[in-house]
Amino acid sequence: MGEEDLHQLIRGCIKQDRKCQKMLYKAFYGFSMSICLRYAGNRDDAAEVMNQGFFKVFTHIESYDMGRPFKAWLGKIMMNVSIDFYRANLKMAYTEDLDKAEHISDGDIADKNLHYNDLLAMVQKLPQAYRTVFNLFAIDGYSHDEIASMLNINAGTSKSNLHKARQKLKQMIFKAESSANNANYNSNSGYTPIVAITGSDMRGVFFNKGIRE
Amino acid sequence: MNNEKDKKLDDFFRTGLEDPVHHPVYNENDWSALEDLLDKHTKRRGLIYWLPVLGSAAALLLLFLGWWMFRANPVQTSSKLQAINHYPQGNSGGFVRQPADHKQTALLSQAVHHQQANTGTSGGSIRQPVAHKQTPSGTAGVYAGNVHAIKAGSTGKSSFTSSAAVSPRGTTGERLGDKQNIVSGEPAVLKRDYVALSAVSTTPVFETGLISSSSVSAYQINIPAAGSPKSLSGNGKEKIKIKSQAAFRPQFAVSILAAPDLNGVGSFQQGKVGTNVGLLFSAGVSKKFTISTGALYSVKPYLANFADYHTPYNFHVSPVNITADCRMLDIPLNLGYQLYNKQQNKLSIGTGLSSYIMLHEQYTYNYNDVYAYGPSGYTVPHSSKYFFGVLNLNATYDRQLNSKVGISIQPYLKLPLSNIGYGQVKLQSTGVAVGLKWNLNKP
Repeated sequence: MGEEDLHQLIRGCIKQDRKCQKMLYKAFYGFSMSICLRYAGNRDDAAEVMNQGFFKVFTHIESYDMGRPFKAWLGKIMMNVSIDFYRANLKMAYTEDLDKAEHISDGDIADKNLHYNDLLAMVQKLPQAYRTVFNLFAIDGYSHDEIASMLNINAGTSKSNLHKARQKLKQMIFKAESSANNANYNSNSGYTPIVAITGSDMRGVFFNKGIRE
Repeated sequence: MNNEKDKKLDDFFRTGLEDPVHHPVYNENDWSALEDLLDKHTKRRGLIYWLPVLGSAAALLLLFLGWWMFRANPVQTSSKLQAINHYPQGNSGGFVRQPADHKQTALLSQAVHHQQANTGTSGGSIRQPVAHKQTPSGTAGVYAGNVHAIKAGSTGKSSFTSSAAVSPRGTTGERLGDKQNIVSGEPAVLKRDYVALSAVSTTPVFETGLISSSSVSAYQINIPAAGSPKSLSGNGKEKIKIKSQAAFRPQFAVSILAAPDLNGVGSFQQGKVGTNVGLLFSAGVSKKFTISTGALYSVKPYLANFADYHTPYNFHVSPVNITADCRMLDIPLNLGYQLYNKQQNKLSIGTGLSSYIMLHEQYTYNYNDVYAYGPSGYTVPHSSKYFFGVLNLNATYDRQLNSKVGISIQPYLKLPLSNIGYGQVKLQSTGVAVGLKWNLNKP
């Protein structure tokens, strides 16, 4: 979408034109959803959070500065609503004992044949507190101090959660690798290895397929 | 070493998850959910914005009803203000209209207390010489802001309050404004509560350069501001484009207005509260100017001194003052100028002229002496019209609640350019109009 088209759409949204809103929604659906998906535990939550984000966008569109990139503004809103969602669900958040994850072999992960859906499923499987810190630090590039103030936690907690998140992710990568080695001989499809990890992962797999299709 | 590996892991996930190729595809159901959210928001917002409007309407209604009930029996309960203008002539107790060769000014303001209780058993008259005000003009003796409240209870006791102007009693060369009620033998009459306060001038009617007077409300409605473009920061081009898109179009609106106001002749010192209700139509003729017109039904009670009241009728005994109850249609034609317009708030000032169509005029003459011989009142049988006889001045605050509906608050002043009504009084009004406005077209 050209910049002029985008501005045209935004002007339409300022006038609360429903058609323009829908076009803008469609145009940035994938971008927004991909942010919300990695912060949320599942697709339903992600869709809900994303809609909250778009709701904010449409009701505060007049505060958008056209001189700045729209994507950055939108992305920031999506991240903020995701954090709001995290805060709202803080009571339900749980942390997991990581004893089992302490001894992970450090192979070269860059070589692993893992795709978007695999990675997303892993991130989504993280407990919410770990996932949020991991997203903010590793993907969105915030410092621990910034994260601490955003999530209203200590910087130490942020570091600790990040460490645990990484450990868990490594564990999952390792598991994926080993099960792929075991089960891959009767399947050539690129996304089945995840299915083979464990039966309890079925939900995530269907979800991922849903995204892909 | 560890840090490096961690960084690798982070990068691995970042590149994998930020790859736009794998972004989820659009799902219509999600849009439907958002649309519901947006619709709900609009409805809820509408409701929330309506609440204060409904609240104000209810408050206005209550105010009006309260006023109505209060007004229902004013005669029995209210004190009367009376002025005494004339020497009593002869000893009959009657008064003859005095040639206006005495000037007396501003007696109104002083009120002195003088209380006296009369416990006479006869229920007879109370005779009270009271105060006098010496005229500044030095005319031969003057008399009396003489005021008394006579209360005659069933026991025959009467209490008596008199307020008087400052001059000492019995000063030579002064006459006592001796208000005398010849009551003996008529206790029934005495039972009326009667409180007279202060005296007023005998000045011939036209002499006092009356301040403007005249009545009623000025209403004015301004163009809805809803369509003002929200400016977006960005390059200059954008701004210009947006502005040109929002070029001026005439905007029309209809308002319903209600306004309590204060009506007085010459001043608001003796002001009485009236009510105005009506419809106004307004058209924005440019970005800044709005013309409005309409019709308001006005109830204008007022109290006029006899000096301010003109009548061909030759009173044998002049009333002290006149209580008027006028019902009229106020047809304003106003021009408003917008001073400030930001977001939903607008401030404007306006001026214009009002025409009055008198629907009903009723005058009650109040005499100082309860036995005065004279007409008690007059009801004008026909309606009359006074075109552009009143100058409207107003300031308006508008708040747009949504693109269709707004509320306005408008303090106003109506100054007389000509005499109004059967009594040809200079009736002036001031009040605050509260309005609810509908925009007829989209800005």
